[in-house]
Formats: sequence, structure tokens, C-alpha cells
Amino acid sequence: MKALTRGDKILIAIIIIVNVAALFFVKNLAFNYENKYISIQVNGEEIKKITFDSNMVGKQIPIETEYGYNLIEIGDEKVRVIEADCPDQLDVKQGYISRVGEVIVCLPNKLVIEIKGGNIETDIDGLSR
Amino acid sequence: MKNTRKLIFLSLLVAIGLGLGLVESMMPLPFVAPGAKLGLSNMVILITLVVFSPKDAFVVGILKSIVLTLVTGSVTSLFYSLSGSVLSCLAMTIVYKYFSNIFSSIGVSIFGAMTHNFVQVLVACLMMNNFRIFSYLPILQLTSIFTGYFVGLTSKYAVNNLRKSFNKFDVSH
Repeated sequence: MKALTRGDKILIAIIIIVNVAALFFVKNLAFNYENKYISIQVNGEEIKKITFDSNMVGKQIPIETEYGYNLIEIGDEKVRVIEADCPDQLDVKQGYISRVGEVIVCLPNKLVIEIKGGNIETDIDGLSR
Repeated sequence: MKNTRKLIFLSLLVAIGLGLGLVESMMPLPFVAPGAKLGLSNMVILITLVVFSPKDAFVVGILKSIVLTLVTGSVTSLFYSLSGSVLSCLAMTIVYKYFSNIFSSIGVSIFGAMTHNFVQVLVACLMMNNFRIFSYLPILQLTSIFTGYFVGLTSKYAVNNLRKSFNKFDVSH
């Protein structure tokens, strides 16, 4: 009995190709933005917006909700979670995120930290309206 | 007599799945995306599917998820693990029943792992109302090739040996 059949090999090849392509697609999406900001969402609602600023570097922001406690730290154009009361600590282990579209998710505390990009054009539209 | 033996073997498989799930929760895959797991307890479902029947595999999968929730004590994870194991079991059943001439148990297991990951991400999106989480999916699917490969290989060897002993006790179908 052979370990891998031909069908298995084709399946693995297809998965690798599709997902590497998807990976590049996701990464490319991230470069089309100018104004980056951090969006902190709890249970699907945005509770805080933080823009990157040089005097925000090193600042720590506690987020306490009914679901739990997380402490996030803002770095130079990046953000990470340094403390959390969730059991798995996956959000702490993930480290910094810096690109638009990247997210840190803490499932137990229903917390999503997302870097969003506001397009400059939408800002102009907002002004001219 | 035959039913009692089958019951005992299925309970043993649930217990093994529980042990594997606990060990697995202590050692996350260190290098890849958050939430990536080895899927060791998927092995038990695959073995049940091959040695017994799809129906028994569903029972083992659901029981394993519920008992694992009782042990680890986080109720939110019940939704993730229950939906993941039921749907990955469904996918593995379909692939095993109708495409087993194309795919070996490794292919079946990769399909199971992929479905599991997809369902987990989907449930996470629905619960958090944020579809950005789908950007995790490609890297999770890439790891599911490796985890699925090893789970499939392991359960293939396990099934060969289990078949012999189960035939001796006259339990499997």
C-alpha cells in the first residue's frame, strides 16, 4: 500500500498554489493605503480609533470590557498586545502587527485589533461635502 | 455482547481524543498563525470513520467536543470546536465514501483539516462581525497540509493494527 496516491499529490499541489496566491493577494491589499490607524473593536463594535503618531510610541492603553482585560502597546507604526487575561495568550504571542488589514484577535475577550487604512480621497470627499 | 464491546471501544476512542486534545492545547504550533493546531484529536475521528462507520464518527466527534469543553471550561470554544468537528467529519465522510479510490487516508485527513479551519474562521467572523479575519485563512490552510498529512499517516498505521485486534474481538462491522 502506497502512502500517497496520485490524487493526494494533486490535492496538495492545488492547495499550495491557491493559498500562496491568496497570501500574496492579501499582502498586496495592504499597500494601497495612506493614513493608517488602529481600530479596536469589541464584540463587533468599534470602541476606539488611534492614529499613529510619533509621541504615541511606547504608550500603553488598557482595554477593559465586560468580556475581559487586554493591555496594548503602541510602537513605531505598529501595535501589539502585551497583557491579557485570556487563557491561551495567543494575542500576546502574536507580537506586533504593522500593515493595513492585519488583525490581532482575542477570541475569549471578543477583541479585534485591526490596522485600517483611511484613503486620502475619502478625506477630501468628507471635506468638500 | 457485540454492542457492549463496540460501546467500550468507542468510549475508549473518545477518551483518547480527549487526552490528545488536552496535550495539544498545551503545545500550540509555535511558528505560524495564531489558532493553528496540530489537530491530533482529528485522528480519533478519522480512525472511527474508517474502522467503524460515519455515524459512530459523528458520535465520537460530538462527544469529544462536549467533554473537552467541560475539561477546559471555556463555553465559547464549544461553538468553534463543535461546528468544526461536525463539519470536518461530514467532509471526511463524503471524501472517504465516494472518493476513496482517488484519495488515501492522507487526502481524507487533509480535507477534514481544511474544512475544520474554514469553519473555525467562518464562525469567528460571524461571532465578531469582522470579515478581516479571513486573511488568516491562507496560512491556516497551508499548515493544514502538514498537519493533515501527519494525521492521515498516523491513522493509516493505527487503522491497520486496530483492524486486526477489532476483528479478533468481532466488533467492527
